Amino acid sequence: MGWAWLFLLLATYPWLLGADLASDTLASSSLIFFVSGTCLVAPCRRLKRWQAVLFAACLGFLFEARRPIPDGTLALSLVAIAIFLSSNRQLIRNTPSMLRVAAIVNVSACLIWFLASSYGSPSPATNLAGQLFLQLLLSCVVGTLSLIPIALTQNAVLDRLNVPPAPDTP
Amino acid sequence: MDQNRQGARASYVALSVFVALWILAPSAVRRFNREAFVEFQAPALNLLGKSRDMATFWEKKSRSVEEMAAAGRDLARINAALEIQINKFEDIRRENVRLREITRYNVPAEYMSVVARVATRDSSSWWQRIVIRKGRNDGIRPGAPVVFGNTVVGRVTAVHLTTSEVDLVTSPGFRCTAYLEGDDQNHIVLVNGVASNSLGTTKARVSVIPRDYSMPAGQPARVFTTGMGGVFPSRLMLGYLDGGTYATQVGNFKESLLVPSRDLYNLQEVSVLVPLHQNPGEALMQGDQFQ
Repeated sequence: MGWAWLFLLLATYPWLLGADLASDTLASSSLIFFVSGTCLVAPCRRLKRWQAVLFAACLGFLFEARRPIPDGTLALSLVAIAIFLSSNRQLIRNTPSMLRVAAIVNVSACLIWFLASSYGSPSPATNLAGQLFLQLLLSCVVGTLSLIPIALTQNAVLDRLNVPPAPDTP
Repeated sequence: MDQNRQGARASYVALSVFVALWILAPSAVRRFNREAFVEFQAPALNLLGKSRDMATFWEKKSRSVEEMAAAGRDLARINAALEIQINKFEDIRRENVRLREITRYNVPAEYMSVVARVATRDSSSWWQRIVIRKGRNDGIRPGAPVVFGNTVVGRVTAVHLTTSEVDLVTSPGFRCTAYLEGDDQNHIVLVNGVASNSLGTTKARVSVIPRDYSMPAGQPARVFTTGMGGVFPSRLMLGYLDGGTYATQVGNFKESLLVPSRDLYNLQEVSVLVPLHQNPGEALMQGDQFQ
C-alpha cells in the first residue's frame, strides 16, 4: 500500500508527542527526550525503501520544525540511515539486533542534531562535553527502552494495512 | 542481492542530489517546509495545553467549598489593595505624560498585552524555549517581548498561525541591554543567554559591567531593562546577579551570571507585549523568524 508510510507516521506521532511531553518535564535539566531515531527502526524492516525514506524525512522534519536546528540536517541524516537500514535488513532481523540498532541510530541522530545546533548557535560551545554525554546517554537508554512499545504499535498498524511481514531470512 | 545493492546505491545518489538541491533551494522553500510541519503539530500542542488546563480545572473543582471561600476572601483583599495601587499609578502616568509633553520627550512605544497559556516547554544546551497558544491570528508578531507581571520571560522568535515560540531569557539567542541596581551612573550592561552545560538552573550572562561597580550589600543586585532599542519597555526586571562579579580576560570590564527572577519552566501563563506600531528592529526580525 503506497500510503502506508503516512498512516504509519500518524500512528507514530503520539509517541513523538509523548516524547515532547517528557521533554517538557525535563526542561529544567536542558535534556531532550529524543525518540525519532528509534521510531525509524521497525518500519525499515517492512516498508519499501522509498516509503522508509519518506517516513524518515517526515520524522526528522517534525523534530526540527519547532527547534533552531539548521533546516534538513536531521531529516536528511535520518533518510540516509533509512536507506542503509532498508538495504541491510539482516541487521534488524531479530529483537536483540533491533534493540542494538535502535540505540545506535538514536544516539547517532541525537549527536547529529546536537552538533548541528552548536553550529547554528550564537553562543560558544564551552564545557559542554558533560551535557553532550548526558544527552547521548539519555538517548541511548530511551532509544532502547522505547523500541518495543513503539515497534508493537507500528507493526500493529502495518498489519492492519496489509503490509507483508518482514522475512525471517532477508 | 545485487538488485538490492544497486537500489541502495541509486538511493544514495538520489539523496546526494537532493541534499545539493536542498542547499541551493531558496530559503522560502525551506521556510515553507518548516511552517508546514509546525502547523501539522499545532493542533496536538493546543490539545495538550487544553487538556492540562482541564486537569487543573478538575483538580480545583474537587476542592472543598470552605477552601474556595477562603481563597476568594484572600483574593478580594488583594484586589482591593491592587485597586489603590492602580489609581496611584494612573496619577503617576498622567504626570509622566504631562512632563513628557512639556519637555517634548519621545513618547515610549505603546504595547497591546496578549495573555497566552504555555503549551509546552523545550530546553536543550542550545535553546530554552516555550511554545505559547497564541499566534499570528491573535496579533502576535516576531520580536515582541514576553513578560510575567513585571518580569521579563523572553522574546517571541517565531510566530505561527495559532502558536508562537518564545526564546527565554537564558536561551543563547537572547540579548538585551540592562541597568544594574546600585549603579548610580546607570551604566548599560549586556545580558545574553548562554549554552546550558549543567543540570542546575539555567542562567544568562551579564557582561560589560564597569570595573568600579559594587553590588548592594546584603541583597542580590537586581537587573532591569533599559527600554533602549524599542523592544522591551524600561524597568522590567530580568533577574538577579548571581553571586559576585568577576573580571573578564580583557580586564576592562567585569562579568557575572544572571538568575531569572522566576522559575521560567513553571510558568503557566505569560503576557506578550505586542507593540502597537511596528518598530525597525521588529521589521528586521521578520526575515529571521524561523531561525
